[in-house]
Amino acid sequence: MAFTISALIFFASRLSPIDPINAMVPPDMAADSANLAQLRQELGLNDNIFFQYFHWLRDIATGNFGYSLQSGQKISEILALRMPATLELVLSALILSTILALTLGLFAGAKRGGIADKLSRVFAVIGIAVPDFFIGLALLNVFAYRVEWLPTGNRIAPGQVTFWDRFPHLILPVATLTIAMLAVLIRYTRNSVLDTLNRDFVKTARSKGVPEWRVLYSHVFRNSLGPVMVILAFRLPLLVGGSILVESVFQWPGIGTTIIAAVSASDYPVIMVISMLIAMVILVASFLVDIVKSILDPRVRLGGGK
Amino acid sequence: MSKKNQDQQSTTRIFISNFLHNPSGVIGLAIISVMILTSIFAVQISGVAPDYIDPINSRLGPSWSHLFGTDQLGRDMFSRILSGGRQSIYIGVLASFMANLIGTVLGATAGYLGGKIDTVVMRISELVMTFPQLILVLIFVSLLGQGINNVIIVFALTGWMTTFRLVRGEFFSLREEAFVEADRAFGFSKPRIIFRHLLPNTMSPIVVAFTVNIAIFIIAEAGLSFLGLGVPVTTPTWGNLLTAAQNPVVVNEYWWLWVFPALAIAIFVLGVNFVGDGLRDVLDPRHKSLITKNKWKTMVLSRLRRKK
Repeated sequence: MAFTISALIFFASRLSPIDPINAMVPPDMAADSANLAQLRQELGLNDNIFFQYFHWLRDIATGNFGYSLQSGQKISEILALRMPATLELVLSALILSTILALTLGLFAGAKRGGIADKLSRVFAVIGIAVPDFFIGLALLNVFAYRVEWLPTGNRIAPGQVTFWDRFPHLILPVATLTIAMLAVLIRYTRNSVLDTLNRDFVKTARSKGVPEWRVLYSHVFRNSLGPVMVILAFRLPLLVGGSILVESVFQWPGIGTTIIAAVSASDYPVIMVISMLIAMVILVASFLVDIVKSILDPRVRLGGGK
Repeated sequence: MSKKNQDQQSTTRIFISNFLHNPSGVIGLAIISVMILTSIFAVQISGVAPDYIDPINSRLGPSWSHLFGTDQLGRDMFSRILSGGRQSIYIGVLASFMANLIGTVLGATAGYLGGKIDTVVMRISELVMTFPQLILVLIFVSLLGQGINNVIIVFALTGWMTTFRLVRGEFFSLREEAFVEADRAFGFSKPRIIFRHLLPNTMSPIVVAFTVNIAIFIIAEAGLSFLGLGVPVTTPTWGNLLTAAQNPVVVNEYWWLWVFPALAIAIFVLGVNFVGDGLRDVLDPRHKSLITKNKWKTMVLSRLRRKK
């Protein structure tokens, strides 16, 4: 699987009509064709394409990600610089939105038409109809410009300043991403809770006289987590990819903004490495889902067939 | 033949009347039709061409002469938003159509044939689905370049999975039906069975997926153009109008430049979703799970009555 993806990514990038040399050398210096040919030779662009592919694969596997065409920086350095910002943003949004969505979804499902249900419906409508960067813009306008409570994003790197100096910069981006992620997650939790509530074992538990909160928590909640987990796993690649739009609104120096810059400058090595990493995370995530599912539901445990 | 035609006509009529009695469907349809009409007749309604530059009146807030204000070059935002709808809706509809076409053909073939083809296509769809959509779109855009047609192609290539899964699932259950076995016994060719006999039976999920995809693609276009990587800036689309908000000064002081385009998107997308919900209720009774018992009963009764 990993090999297929890597091959796809590599050959797709080579199929592109844009010549990496042209992207790298400014047009006014491109007149010297002898130098260009030499550069081409040095970069290995004249070799057999399959040879190039295995060369690239070996480099990736040994942690040598190559250089950015745009800045000449080592890609591994760029990643090391940008990755913490994305992790900080996405991880906190992921945790926050999961906690919120699970509690809201549980209550919304348990008491239809209640406050939680109405709230979750509002979130669902926002999540469907409003582009997520617009949520960011609106929050920016109100909290950063109108009342000036919070800074406009612009991450401060850790180091000289304390955590509490950096914290306010996180609030708006994380809030935006959380709201954007919340909608789908709430809807799934709610539907899943509703499905579970109709199952026979819930009726059994209730007729045995188990208190309602225990029915909800240990019977309904645990059993409705399965589908929600799958959605969560779909979100994990964001940890590497970053949320492009939110990062761009708040000028967050993460992977998302790196991708945008790379795409607009056709900086292939960077795009290839990042997409390769995302693909790896997807593979790991789908593996994790299987494990979590088996913890939640003993019936799907590996090798434990009927 | 005439009998069959009559039957078809009456089912269509029942379907239309059902849809017109569905509140969310009607509201959604009204919203969409109004917005499509206003975007077609944008210039006539607003009275100003969307690219008419009037530097003296630049950056004016909303007023009666400029309903949604004017932008940096003094262009009328009302006119720009109305005509921006043209390209945005065009992109959404065409991309959704193409994505559905890919999804349907693949889903039908994979679902009917099963086996190796099915496994391969399923794997591909899983992979494409888990890849964050916008990043995938960006990668494709970097390969193909910008432009309206490329945006449509990219959306189609990255958005066919939902339809594929729906159609495949339907085909899995349908291919065991008696009429398919009869088809096979008659010696009909596989394409004929798949596309002439089975496909009409899976139309309803396809139609619903079509509407949902339109909404998704319009929002995706907005995001892509907001980043400056979608449709070239010279053509106004809802997304391109939002690009102005890349500038913090605009976010701070000229709110009408980004709030109104976003509202246009939100309203249209809601309308599309309403229509989708309405269609789902009418076409697929299984999805009516959230309806109260009473409504359920009347629906069943009306269905029985119709059978007579």
